Amino acid sequence: MTVQTNYKTTRRFHPLKSLYRLQGLLDIAAISAWGVLLLQYWLTGKINLLLHPNYVWLAYSAGFVLLGVATVKIAQFIWRVVQLKKRKDRNQGDLLQHLSLFPPGWSSALLLAVALFGLQFTPQPFASQMALDRGVTETLTMTRSQPQAFRTSTKPENRTLIDWIRTLNVYPEPDAYTGQKVNVEGFVLHLPQVPDNYIGIARFVITCCAADAYPVGMPVKLPSGNRSAYQPDKWYRVAGQMITETLADKRQLVIQASKLTEIPTPANPYAS
Amino acid sequence: MNQFNNALTLFFSLLVEAIPFLLIGVFFSSALLLFVDERKLIAAVPKQPLLAAFAGSLIGFLFPVCECGNVPVARRLIVQGAPAAMAIGFLLAAPVVNPVVFWATWIAFRDQPEMVFLRVGFSLLIATMIGWVFSTQADLRPLMQPAVARAMPIPKRAAKKTKAPRTKAPQAEETASPLLQSGTFFLGQSDQPLQVDGLGQAALAANPTLSRPIPERLRLMLDNVIQELRELGGILIIGSAIAALVQVSVPRDLILSLGQGPVSSILAMMLLAAVVSICSTVDSFFALSFASTFTTGSLLAFLVFGPMIDLKNFALLLTVFRGRAILYLFVLAGQLTFLLTLLINLYVS
Repeated sequence: MTVQTNYKTTRRFHPLKSLYRLQGLLDIAAISAWGVLLLQYWLTGKINLLLHPNYVWLAYSAGFVLLGVATVKIAQFIWRVVQLKKRKDRNQGDLLQHLSLFPPGWSSALLLAVALFGLQFTPQPFASQMALDRGVTETLTMTRSQPQAFRTSTKPENRTLIDWIRTLNVYPEPDAYTGQKVNVEGFVLHLPQVPDNYIGIARFVITCCAADAYPVGMPVKLPSGNRSAYQPDKWYRVAGQMITETLADKRQLVIQASKLTEIPTPANPYAS
Repeated sequence: MNQFNNALTLFFSLLVEAIPFLLIGVFFSSALLLFVDERKLIAAVPKQPLLAAFAGSLIGFLFPVCECGNVPVARRLIVQGAPAAMAIGFLLAAPVVNPVVFWATWIAFRDQPEMVFLRVGFSLLIATMIGWVFSTQADLRPLMQPAVARAMPIPKRAAKKTKAPRTKAPQAEETASPLLQSGTFFLGQSDQPLQVDGLGQAALAANPTLSRPIPERLRLMLDNVIQELRELGGILIIGSAIAALVQVSVPRDLILSLGQGPVSSILAMMLLAAVVSICSTVDSFFALSFASTFTTGSLLAFLVFGPMIDLKNFALLLTVFRGRAILYLFVLAGQLTFLLTLLINLYVS
């Protein structure tokens, strides 16, 4: 209702015009900020933590388009200011009325604020806590990803963690894999339901964006010592072989590790 | 702190994924609003109610607009004498049955292509059925806001009946001052308080921009892009924030118990759809964030019901329909969505 009061005063002082101008400036600022934000995420690689690599091009294209729109609007704005000095105001009310739900300026201010915050923000890759919260699955049948191209010819030691999960998914009998060589990478999970000399090695899989990331993982039997030497969220390459064990009342495939090497967190931590 | 960071990461990932689609959506809708003359469309639509409803539902492919863009278009269709079946079919189906939404849903549910087809199929089915139901009301005017009703042509069949005491609505309209009409409260919030949509019949009847020269139309198109981007962007931000917060803060046990029940999950998602009001071009990403915890049927319910009826849409629909008509739409769409998605939950997935 404040707008109505605004309008009453407009008739005399023409603040409506300045309201438009303010709204226009806010719009331009919000649109430019989002353009810059998308490009910044792309150029700094932060976007890898947010999106599946297939869709990164959409994000940066949108960034360019937004900056383009902002540029045109700035040009228009300057032109209009110049013109206004020459002659009386053009009819502003000629636009196809779009129905708006919020008071003017509200949305643009929110968009601008979020974009400015986003510029400061550094996303963190999802970590073990999130994985435990979401429930690590060993099978993908519960979840959504189905193997697109399944190659049985892959040597066991060349399989990634995801390949292993997919293979198990197709043929779940653990004994079929016992003795096969393993060489996988992932982050460490401390699974609460298994003894101290086991860790989980896990990865997040995304199909679209971080919103649908879900963890997959397998238990690892440590060669010696207990899991306190392996901090959660640290990335390791695990080499060893497959064994079958009964863990947490479930007969399952376990990696008997012979060597664990700490590796840096990959730039694109999600598997796809 | 970690939780907070996860929530923010989810929030920005939803936004970064959704904004390109929002941009495509508003560009399409702005371009088509300014370059397509829907009068020609009306002439081409079949007269038989069921076919008209189906044709109306498919028009979304020509007007890729989400639910905020489709209400003004539906209103113009109605004012220009489109059959009720066609207009209602369009109103309900257009936000989903269009190429941009199809693509966005496809990307979000790449691994479950059936989601895309079920979403489009159910939307078409529900929109056609409701359009068909509404076609039994030969004269739509009693269901319309007075300003819209006045601008509508009198249907031939109904014209004979105008002397009958049943049609009270037009009389009531004549006595109402334009300032007292219920559509105006809404526009008091917009940029241009005096240009009330419902008042100028001429402005209602035709797409007012079609007569303008091309450069002017382009300028208007850009302005429309920005208006929609601003409006829908704001809602997208709120929607993404809700999705991120629910994911991180609501205990997993609760979500799982709610999300795995065949009935409770559907009801929860329909409620969420009505409240969140997220735009149909980007709502599949929102739904995606619930994909691992909610049943397939409930995700479908979200994707089908949300674009038809939600809080934001409700305000927009009030500029066209009276409350009673919106209630019919809401109840019919809700029940049909519930039944169809329950079938999916019980017999398919």
